[in-house]
Amino acid sequence: MSTAKTPAPDPGEPQPLVELDDVSKFYGNIRALEGVSLEVHAGEISCVLGDNGAGKSTLIKIISGLHRHDAGTLRIEGEDTSLSSPREALDRGIATVYQDLAVVPLMPVWRNFFLGSEPTRGKGPLKRLDVARMRETTRTELLRMGIDLRDVDQPIGTLSGGERQCVAIARAVYFGAKVLVLDEPTAALGVKQSGVVLKYVAAARDAGLGVVLITHNPHHAYLVGDRFVLLKRGAMTGSHLRADISLDELTRQMAGGNELEDLRHELERAPVPTHLGGHPAKPAQETENTGE
Amino acid sequence: MARVRTGVRAVGAVLVMALGVSLAGCSSTGGKKAEDARKAAAAGGKSAVNTPRWTVAMVTHSGDGDTFWDIVQKGAEQAAVKDNIKFLYSHNDEAQQQAQLVDAAVDKKVDGLIVSLAKPDAMKAAVARAVKAGIPVITVNSGSAESKKFGALSHIGQDETVAGRAVGEELNKRGRKKALCILHEQGNVGHEQRCDGAKESFDGKMQNLYVDGTNMPDVQAAIEAKLQSDDSLDAVVTLGAPFADTAVKAKDSAGSKAEIDTFDLNEAVATGLKSGKLGFAVDQQPYLQGYQAVDLLWLYRYNADVLGGGRPVLTGPQVVTEKDADALLDYAERGTR
Amino acid sequence: MTATAQKTADERLVETSALRKLLGRPELGSVVGAVAVFAFFVVFADSFLRASSLATVLYAASTLGIMAVPVALLMIGGEFDLSAGVLVTSSALISSMFSYQMTANVWVGVGVSLLATLAIGVFNGVMLTRTQLPSFIITLGTFLMLTGMNLGFTKLISGTVSTKKISDMEGFAGAHDLFASTLTLGDVDFKVTILWWFGLVAVATWILLRTRAGNWIFACGGNKEAARAVGVPVTATKIGLYMGVGLGAWIAGQHLLFSFDTVQSGEGVGNELIYIIAAVIGGCLITGGYGSAVGSAVGALIFGMTSKGIVYAEWDPDWFKFFLGAMLLLATLLNHWVRKRAEASK
Repeated sequence: MSTAKTPAPDPGEPQPLVELDDVSKFYGNIRALEGVSLEVHAGEISCVLGDNGAGKSTLIKIISGLHRHDAGTLRIEGEDTSLSSPREALDRGIATVYQDLAVVPLMPVWRNFFLGSEPTRGKGPLKRLDVARMRETTRTELLRMGIDLRDVDQPIGTLSGGERQCVAIARAVYFGAKVLVLDEPTAALGVKQSGVVLKYVAAARDAGLGVVLITHNPHHAYLVGDRFVLLKRGAMTGSHLRADISLDELTRQMAGGNELEDLRHELERAPVPTHLGGHPAKPAQETENTGE
Repeated sequence: MARVRTGVRAVGAVLVMALGVSLAGCSSTGGKKAEDARKAAAAGGKSAVNTPRWTVAMVTHSGDGDTFWDIVQKGAEQAAVKDNIKFLYSHNDEAQQQAQLVDAAVDKKVDGLIVSLAKPDAMKAAVARAVKAGIPVITVNSGSAESKKFGALSHIGQDETVAGRAVGEELNKRGRKKALCILHEQGNVGHEQRCDGAKESFDGKMQNLYVDGTNMPDVQAAIEAKLQSDDSLDAVVTLGAPFADTAVKAKDSAGSKAEIDTFDLNEAVATGLKSGKLGFAVDQQPYLQGYQAVDLLWLYRYNADVLGGGRPVLTGPQVVTEKDADALLDYAERGTR
Repeated sequence: MTATAQKTADERLVETSALRKLLGRPELGSVVGAVAVFAFFVVFADSFLRASSLATVLYAASTLGIMAVPVALLMIGGEFDLSAGVLVTSSALISSMFSYQMTANVWVGVGVSLLATLAIGVFNGVMLTRTQLPSFIITLGTFLMLTGMNLGFTKLISGTVSTKKISDMEGFAGAHDLFASTLTLGDVDFKVTILWWFGLVAVATWILLRTRAGNWIFACGGNKEAARAVGVPVTATKIGLYMGVGLGAWIAGQHLLFSFDTVQSGEGVGNELIYIIAAVIGGCLITGGYGSAVGSAVGALIFGMTSKGIVYAEWDPDWFKFFLGAMLLLATLLNHWVRKRAEASK
């Protein structure tokens, strides 16, 4: 198992970029999220793990400004705050990359890259897109993230799911995001594609961003994560530094202790119970590549 | 695949059966055969003159599938055969489109042009262009007031206000007190004039009712509702032949005693007159409008003849009632009245 | 990726880029269609190739194309406007009746008409973005209301179903020159609407391809949620697009008024579909996010060539609609096929 090149979190580090302290959110009398605490530091990846319905999306919505939290404190660079819109979150340097909503499929890659923040030149009625610069920047920025596109003019819909996620990530990095929130970036992807995406997540981290990685896959999380927060039915069931927890333990907690034992018991009757054993080997190799 | 095959076979079987039935069950009266026989009795395909083959274009404001204009076209075609003329017909109910069609005819350098001026201002420039290009123009149907101003040789048609007055007078003669005028096309100036003319000469009260002429069930429902809501109505005047029959249906289901009268004529109206379902019809003889227009253009090219002396040549109104119905029925059946 | 793989990829790029760039254009299918229709009528209609005939065809295409441009933009932005056809008539009616009733200079009426059509565009846009209902429903409502108002107000104010003449009023000559004059080149008369049309196509193409607003239009139609998430002002973009339709309707309406002097209040119904047809023939995706202004112009040209070509070819006009429908289907299929090929070549 790879220990990677990720430095262990240093407790003496400066204040976190984003900090959630005992945050709760209620929809009417339904508890969507209760007592969740999370720290996001520059150059680190904080993973939020949980099954469907655990409250992951509510957490994203609070961080990205779609919903306000009801209790607890949200601090951005040490300042108590409450985000009122996605625009405000963006202005404060928090960029969110949603799994499905990331891009406009029929538009060329370079138009997607700058969508919403297009550079212009000229004045008055002659104010126009700086197309040459947009194309060039897109190419170089993607290259910097390690994506080599044949043609930035191709519709982004022709890229693979992983590549699309990567363009969205590169875009957030380029536009000066300090915190990158990734919603299940690997959920719909195959093993290889997931590896590619995780590589770019790591690249974003190395660029000095704080990353929040939302996932239900502990293997993916453990490959790149520095901190792990576990959610279950809206409540926080665990918060660990990488140094304090092993992948097995994380997987066990994630699946929920006894439930996992039951599951293992059931699966033992199956003819080839390989799903836990051999899996991490290949992605681990990918992680090795990251540092090069 | 198998399903598709079965489907094809089933369709084939149905077609074969339909063909068999239609061959076996011949009708000895009416139908296509009778129509063909009637057509053979007309002038045939031979022209009666030996002038060069001139081309005449006719551009009307007719909508698609209009029965009235179909008769006009038939008259024009008959005259074209007789006069050795190549006859071209086009139509559009939007003013701008109709003007463009006239432009297209001028581009074709036709030898004569027949235009209906339902929306005269829209046609002004296009007609002027034709006149400038030296093409003789005859206006038909609507536009009697503008025809001469635009430089047309003559106008052949019916003065809608005069026709309206004729209806009003006929209603008086029949002792009607309260009438309904059914306008089936909002925005048609000629229709407004018909109703206004009728109102003018009618001694009783007359109301206008707008209906959507492209939607027959709606027309019937609207007339029916009106008749039900006011049982003092004793006459309904429709502005087009197809609507007379619908008005009769509406009257029947509303249980009203109103008399149904109509502008224009067709086979159904002739039948209705004969059976007494309809009171009278005011015909403007569309066949004559088409026939005369082509014939006059031939006369102009051949002999520089112009009819009307600068005044409109009127083809109507002709009030027809039960006693004319027998003869008219034959003509309406063959599609010339 | 190995060095050799990299190299082959690059070679492929060089090989296909020129052809693919061409194939990737949304209007390609329609251009092929337009050339086919043109060739067809050149063969079958002997008077089609005359300069005056072509001027008539261009005029027919321009009166339609002026509206097809903003309608295409709107479709790229993911919405429809069923009120576009009657809005043209409204524009002409407002201009004419305002000038006449107020005995004002004709230009005042022209200005009021512009404000009114833009306001109707804003109404459509605001209703759409506020209610989140499909634009089909919203603009169907506007369409019916405008149809009724056109007739109702005209009857109420003018007493008849058409407007009064305004050609003897101050400012008419100037406005006529701007919206409805005829330019003679050699011995062929070209209508000024052709210039308006070309101008609109050029401006719309500039907006679509070279401005931020254009990027937003594509994004709104392609993936509204993604656009919103990256900070594109979706609401403002959509309202702007509807105002664009208002602007087009204003130009087309003023042409109607100043070339024909009086306006029939009942006209324009059904034209909205023809605008949409022109945009679709021109390669606009009915679901939004893809298309071009030039394509809509080519679509309008196909429509103009077909509608007048049938006259030049001396065909029975009863078949016009059939022919048009067939053209639409063929153009769309061709378009679809071309796009498939374009995507396959990537």
